[in-house]
Amino acid sequence: MEAFFSTYGFLLVSMVFAALLGLSLYLPLMSGQLSLASPGFYALGGYIAAGLSTKVFTNAGPLFPVPLVLLEMLVAGLVSAVVAVVVGVPALRLRGIYLALATIAFIEIIRVLALNLEITGGAVGIFGVPQPFKTQIEYMWIAAPLLVLTMLFLYRLERIRVGRAFIAIREDELASGAMGIDPTYNKVLSFTMGAVLAGVVGAVSAHFLNTWNARQGTFDASIVYLAFVLIGGSRTFLGPVVGGMALTALPELLRAASGNGSLPDWVAQFMKDGRLIIFGFLIVVGTVFLPQGVVTPRMFRRRKASPPAARTEPAETVETVEAAQKENPA
Amino acid sequence: MSFTEFFQQLLNGLSIGSVYAIFALGYTLVFSILGIINFSHAAVFTLGAYFTYALMGGVVGFNGLLANKSLPIHLSFVAALLLGSVLAGVVAVVIERLAFRPLRARGADPLLTLVSSLGVAILITNLIQYMVGAEPYSFPANAYGTLPPAINFGTPDNPIPVRSVQVVIFAVSVVILAALTFAINYTRFGKALRAVAEDAVTASLLGINTDFYILLTFFLSGFLGGLAGTLVGSSVTIAGPYFGISFGLKGLAVIVLGGLGDIPGAVVGGLVIGLAEAFVPAEYSGYKDAAAFALLFIILLIRPRGLLGRTVIQKV
Amino acid sequence: MSVQPGAALADGSAYLVCVLEVRDVTRRFGGLVAVNQVSFSVQPGEIFGLIGPNGAGKTTLFNVITGLIPASSGHLLYRGEDIIHMRPHRIAALGIARTFQNIRLFSNLTALENVMIAQHVHTHSGIIAGVFGLPPSPQEERATRRKAHDLLHMVGLTNRADEIARNFAYGDQRRLEIARALALEPQLLLLDEPAAGMNHNEKLELSDFIREIRLSLNLTVLLIEHHVPLVMGLCDRIAVLNFGELIALGDPAKVQNDPAVIEAYLGSE
Repeated sequence: MEAFFSTYGFLLVSMVFAALLGLSLYLPLMSGQLSLASPGFYALGGYIAAGLSTKVFTNAGPLFPVPLVLLEMLVAGLVSAVVAVVVGVPALRLRGIYLALATIAFIEIIRVLALNLEITGGAVGIFGVPQPFKTQIEYMWIAAPLLVLTMLFLYRLERIRVGRAFIAIREDELASGAMGIDPTYNKVLSFTMGAVLAGVVGAVSAHFLNTWNARQGTFDASIVYLAFVLIGGSRTFLGPVVGGMALTALPELLRAASGNGSLPDWVAQFMKDGRLIIFGFLIVVGTVFLPQGVVTPRMFRRRKASPPAARTEPAETVETVEAAQKENPA
Repeated sequence: MSFTEFFQQLLNGLSIGSVYAIFALGYTLVFSILGIINFSHAAVFTLGAYFTYALMGGVVGFNGLLANKSLPIHLSFVAALLLGSVLAGVVAVVIERLAFRPLRARGADPLLTLVSSLGVAILITNLIQYMVGAEPYSFPANAYGTLPPAINFGTPDNPIPVRSVQVVIFAVSVVILAALTFAINYTRFGKALRAVAEDAVTASLLGINTDFYILLTFFLSGFLGGLAGTLVGSSVTIAGPYFGISFGLKGLAVIVLGGLGDIPGAVVGGLVIGLAEAFVPAEYSGYKDAAAFALLFIILLIRPRGLLGRTVIQKV
Repeated sequence: MSVQPGAALADGSAYLVCVLEVRDVTRRFGGLVAVNQVSFSVQPGEIFGLIGPNGAGKTTLFNVITGLIPASSGHLLYRGEDIIHMRPHRIAALGIARTFQNIRLFSNLTALENVMIAQHVHTHSGIIAGVFGLPPSPQEERATRRKAHDLLHMVGLTNRADEIARNFAYGDQRRLEIARALALEPQLLLLDEPAAGMNHNEKLELSDFIREIRLSLNLTVLLIEHHVPLVMGLCDRIAVLNFGELIALGDPAKVQNDPAVIEAYLGSE
């Protein structure tokens, strides 16, 4: 058993973190916001934890105390929340493509800042982040409860008033406004929750990965999380969990399988190096064949529903009304 | 800043800005015809540079599946540039057929197509990396023939040297932009293209083969992308397969700044961003890249339709 | 009992009388004037019809009233308060609800969910209370669900509460949209072509239904409709728009015989 955990500990914890990062994208998506900003908050959270633990909490013993890790996570969450509100309030008045572009701009700005500021260690980053545990699998003590709590939270959220408001906005932002739901407030709320989650995961990941640099908050990462949600399922919180875990485990499993000789070497090598090729391919295929992802709400509902018809989302009209509103700020 | 420095930076800015403009036009052409943002353009840009390098007989480095191999042909720079860009155009057409057409057929949201194009971009970029590795590639020093390394714009007493490559790139870009503007505004092809962009259904009712024009647009956008990629790659180096992605991201800033779907807007946006980057003070040169994104963010907040874009009025 | 458009409402008490006063409302789109200095007022308890040829600006006016589109100029007084610059969700919270010409239900959600969502403004539980099941959330959830069932019953969709909205027949979707609008507990209900796609019997049922909810729910109704007999039979007063301008206002008999109205309808074909 111990051998299993020492070999696969890193992978298992990574799977849980991947699920959480998928969920950090799922939250803004619940209110219809395609935000690619999660990696920015993930990076931010990681820098906060790495910075605090290497520069502020420096006289801890051989093992970095877990309560301090939790404190860092809290700080990361709070800072992410503040940044999310500051960035989100103006940005989330945009819709669709414009919002996605604004979030891309955001993470690129964060990346350039991270590469240049002294406090983030520049291109080299921060290394030697202290460890609270002796083995990697022990990170599960933090990761697993975090995932379970988040999933419970989302389960409840989908069934209460606030969650319904998010879903209404996703379905039809214009109509939900006409039904009394404040779109900006709710979009910022869901965006902020996603940001907090990403920031918290970043904080503990800095310890988990031992070093932290600007490569953590890249555009690539956005695409990877997007794949988790797109393939796993974008309409239920279980989707990103399944997607995150499966897409993180798959390359490793295939590489392990090749070690037994059951797969040709080049396949396994491809699975390892070509991970992003596979992700890209899955995204392209997923948008065409599985627009709702693998795990769909229909699996859980026992009610009549016909096959998904072609989407006729009135995105342009919504943009237009919003554009008209921008002419005449009301 | 002295006048010499100012002039140099001005020309730098115009030069890189004009390449941004050419690249952004690829986005703009597709957006104006189909209303989608095609991020795979960034990968096509990268491919153009690599194709040209390969067609000149360049050798693959130590990493990647094709390590140490090279094509048995050695075209001149100009020939390789043209052929490489044509190949890039072909790739763009293939992408349209395989990835975007099925989505169009089912009336998918443009956001979904953007996501798909992100997937294509990552796929191609990493495929390149898998094949030829991530190290930088340089074009041979004599790519531009017998030009001196720098051209002097000033007087012999007050020399203002500017890298020849920059000047060539600027000149080429101007020619391309002029040719494109002429083609779009004064030829039959151009008129048909604009008709399809305005209203595809009506255009097809008028006997215009919209499918052909969509393919043509993608080919043209790929050609421009490949061309821009080669120009940039030859001016510095091909910094690795991801150099297209960062260009692609900046290209988004260009088109939003200029106005989505607006052709002169792409030119204006490109030049503005090129100049903004050139005039970032030297102490902050690490932040150059952020200039484009800061501008993007700001323009999205205060005027999402961009500098030249118009709001489209439709019914609720 | 009709108030002339543009007539001076001399004493302050007049504002308290009418539910909605549209005063010189204008909306321009670039060079096109979609709504041009339109003025009228709607009395409490009225069923007020808004008719006119296609493109006359009726839906645009609705969009201005509900805040989806800003007016270029003018005033909108809802129970005395100028709402001309208010955002849609605030206007909904004040008690103006609407249906849409092109039906905008939340198509992937159930009928029940559609109606529950519209009760957002009248409930208050936040995330913390909701997620942890603390008061007032459980009570509000139960009340919301019950009320939604009641409204579905009122429009005759009670057995289909758990069906996905997209699967409903066109006429039933319109009924569902009305139920959803009523969940806002409005004082003013705006119906945009509620009878479109309905057959003769359904139209009669709809008229009866509108009269009934006017009484039972104390509503004022403002309605856009193309089917002339329905409008004439149902409405207390009618305003006629053509090319964005108000060309006639009065009770059905008066409007029907107005030469300007006749010309607008016959002349435009």
